[in-house]
Amino acid sequence: MTNTLYSLDALGTSLAFFMALLLGFGFGFALERAGFSSSRRLAGVFYFTDMAVVKVMFTALVTAMLGLSYLVAAGWISMDQIFLMPTIYGAQIVGGLLFGVGFAMGGWCPGTAAAGMAAGRIDALVFLLGAVGGSILFNELFPLISGLYTAGDRGVQMLYDTLGMSRNVFILVFTLVAVAAFWLAEWAERTRTGHSEYLGSPFLKAFSVALVAVAAGLFVLSPATTNSPTPQTSSHGTTARDETALLAGVEKAGDHIEPEELAARLMAGETGLVLVDVRPAIEFNAFHIRGAINVPLAGLAEALQPFKNKGMVVLYSNGMTHPAQARDSLQRQGFGNVYLLTDGLQGFRERCLKPVSLRLEPLSASQAAQVNAWRNFFAASGLAAKTGPVTTVTPAETGPRLVETDWLASQLGASTIKIIDLRPQPEYNASHIPGAVSLNVESLRGNVGGVPSMLLPAPMLAAQFSLLGIRPTDTVVLVAGDKFHDATLAGMALERLGHANYAILNGTQAKWAQDGRPANAMLPIVTPSEYPARQPADHFTVDYRAVAAKVGKPGTVIIDVRPVEFYTGKKSDEARAGHIPGAINRPYTEDVATSSNMVITLKSREALAAEYGQVIPSQNTEVIVHCRTGHQASQTFFVLKHLLGYPNVRWYDAGWTEWATRMELPVVNKAKLNTPSK
Amino acid sequence: MNTNPDTSKSGPRPYANPYLAGVLLGLVLLGSFVILGAGLGASGGIARIGASTSLCLSPAHTLGSEYFGKWGTQPMNYYLVFMLAGTFVGALFSALLANRVRIQVERGAASPVMLRLGYALVGGLIAGFASRLAQGCTSGQALSGGALLLTGSMVFMLCLFASGYATAWFVRRQWHD
Repeated sequence: MTNTLYSLDALGTSLAFFMALLLGFGFGFALERAGFSSSRRLAGVFYFTDMAVVKVMFTALVTAMLGLSYLVAAGWISMDQIFLMPTIYGAQIVGGLLFGVGFAMGGWCPGTAAAGMAAGRIDALVFLLGAVGGSILFNELFPLISGLYTAGDRGVQMLYDTLGMSRNVFILVFTLVAVAAFWLAEWAERTRTGHSEYLGSPFLKAFSVALVAVAAGLFVLSPATTNSPTPQTSSHGTTARDETALLAGVEKAGDHIEPEELAARLMAGETGLVLVDVRPAIEFNAFHIRGAINVPLAGLAEALQPFKNKGMVVLYSNGMTHPAQARDSLQRQGFGNVYLLTDGLQGFRERCLKPVSLRLEPLSASQAAQVNAWRNFFAASGLAAKTGPVTTVTPAETGPRLVETDWLASQLGASTIKIIDLRPQPEYNASHIPGAVSLNVESLRGNVGGVPSMLLPAPMLAAQFSLLGIRPTDTVVLVAGDKFHDATLAGMALERLGHANYAILNGTQAKWAQDGRPANAMLPIVTPSEYPARQPADHFTVDYRAVAAKVGKPGTVIIDVRPVEFYTGKKSDEARAGHIPGAINRPYTEDVATSSNMVITLKSREALAAEYGQVIPSQNTEVIVHCRTGHQASQTFFVLKHLLGYPNVRWYDAGWTEWATRMELPVVNKAKLNTPSK
Repeated sequence: MNTNPDTSKSGPRPYANPYLAGVLLGLVLLGSFVILGAGLGASGGIARIGASTSLCLSPAHTLGSEYFGKWGTQPMNYYLVFMLAGTFVGALFSALLANRVRIQVERGAASPVMLRLGYALVGGLIAGFASRLAQGCTSGQALSGGALLLTGSMVFMLCLFASGYATAWFVRRQWHD
């Protein structure tokens, strides 16, 4: 079995660019051989004077279709390794109708116009300029037509499934139709122009017989329809089958669950039901269905692995498109128990959470009672369920933030203020902020699954913070010594526990001393607490797979925050030197200013905003930060997410330590020459 | 008949047998499936040129836009851009071999040049727009998606030919001799 570049997620590599160039060469060569560098010949198809378009296009289509089917049957390639475009009826019907107008008017389509331009056709150049303009026009109008762009989205659909035929039968029928089209095309040319080169010729007869024979041969080679990319897996666990039976009465389609059914199951506290919100974290935090967990689409398959074919997984977003795509992808990866919430969150709001008073349809007393029960269970708890006991304080005051020494001085002695001093112990022992507890930030990290220096799992962190007497309701103040990023790393540990209420002292301990604030050498009296370990994984940490999936993909900015000589590969103390392809370098040291007496402060928000505005295209751009072990990158994470408010920042904790050792992962080493991964 | 004495002694050579050219095209497409794991495409590359143009004209607006914005600051770093470049070079190679390169506005002898160019421009505009909407053109959707037997691609192809035939009569003057 070969691996395609798509299946390796390597379509953005220079190897893929080179192969695309070569394949494009073959494409252009074949188009020109066929005479598709002539708009008259192309347009002839619409006037029945020159049917070359039908002959060439359907021959090519049938050739590739049959060739691919044989390769799949022989086990050389799997359909899963090929990018399959979703069926979106609205967009493709309207797009197809419009495209036909453009094709007939212009006498070209985009590929043939490139060939026509090569053959000197000025009309092809003009067509291409128009097509560039049309693309720009589409972008400008996108906000108006985005509904149409996703209208009728059915995910990946194979025509033989849509028609209810077996793949082999469909291919045979399709080949027969193509052969009939060839003869009709020849006949049309003779009728219209008095001349047909191939009608009734021995060549066309032999060619027709050969195509049909090859298509029929598939029945011998792969008698069953095993090469469907979305097999209706018979490997559903027994639970999944039970679920299907349970759902049979209420489902419109086998893969949907209606809002009312979901609400009933959630209220019943059904175990084995995993509700997954695939929207961005910021939307999830604003509101989500009670009991949902938030998993970004990128990490879905991995995050849901424990629930694969166990119980029932329900995906939802605002609408249906993303969950449908995700479900198709999961199903191809063997998940047989993934369902969609019909009409998504919008449907849930409309059908379950809409107050009785706002409903247009008359409700019976029992229906009204049902709606009120739903509202009591879901509507009231949307926000509170997430943030825990924090009640009346506004989010701005409770989220991760930067504080100055005067604020901390005013808070000293408050029972909910817990100060953690992250300096080495001798310095702490000599003098510290009154009441501060000492913590070595390295104790928050350890070897996780073979990767050293990983932030520890939530239960272990919870145990450590419990020993420090930290409670979920506390405001934790983190004070660093000569490494500002010690504070941000401790912040990551708190965030993993869902403890957003922490502050980092700007200027570190040195500023506190310089300002002449109180200090002593007393050890505080600490009553250990029982900090609860949050169950679901955090949503800001990404692993190498998630990072690799973004390499070469537009729309994601990967920031390597290590010193520049490590980024370029000039220096290295890891398995390989260099950086992740496409990653940009912004050393973490550029975010801070260090004065002569070791006062480390973050640069002003305005300065940082301007500098990061240069490298991150928009506020909503997804950003992945990493360094060698995750330590330095935690500082960049804090700056981007909490100081500058970028909502989609992820932290690749394992960092270069891991990436460099995984030889399958691509590396750019500017110190040497580029070393492609394959 | 040769009207261009400095290119070659002989005139343009005839086109290949369309069925054999189709087999060649099909094999290239198959190669694309096996090597890239994706079909052939042309409009994707054109759209990238559009995004790049838009970036030059108004970077902030483009990066903030919903569709082009997600392609980032380097939209040309995309395999279909390279494929489009290859298509041009491959066609040039074939056209030179067959002595078919002629700088001309291809049209019916009785058709004004500006009429033909006007249709080409508007046709291009519509096709460029439509291929973004449908996420592909004759190459990426109809041919590649058709060979994969994708429902949406087949629907696209059907609609394309239906409206092409419906439109052709209205724009026939550009081909009148």
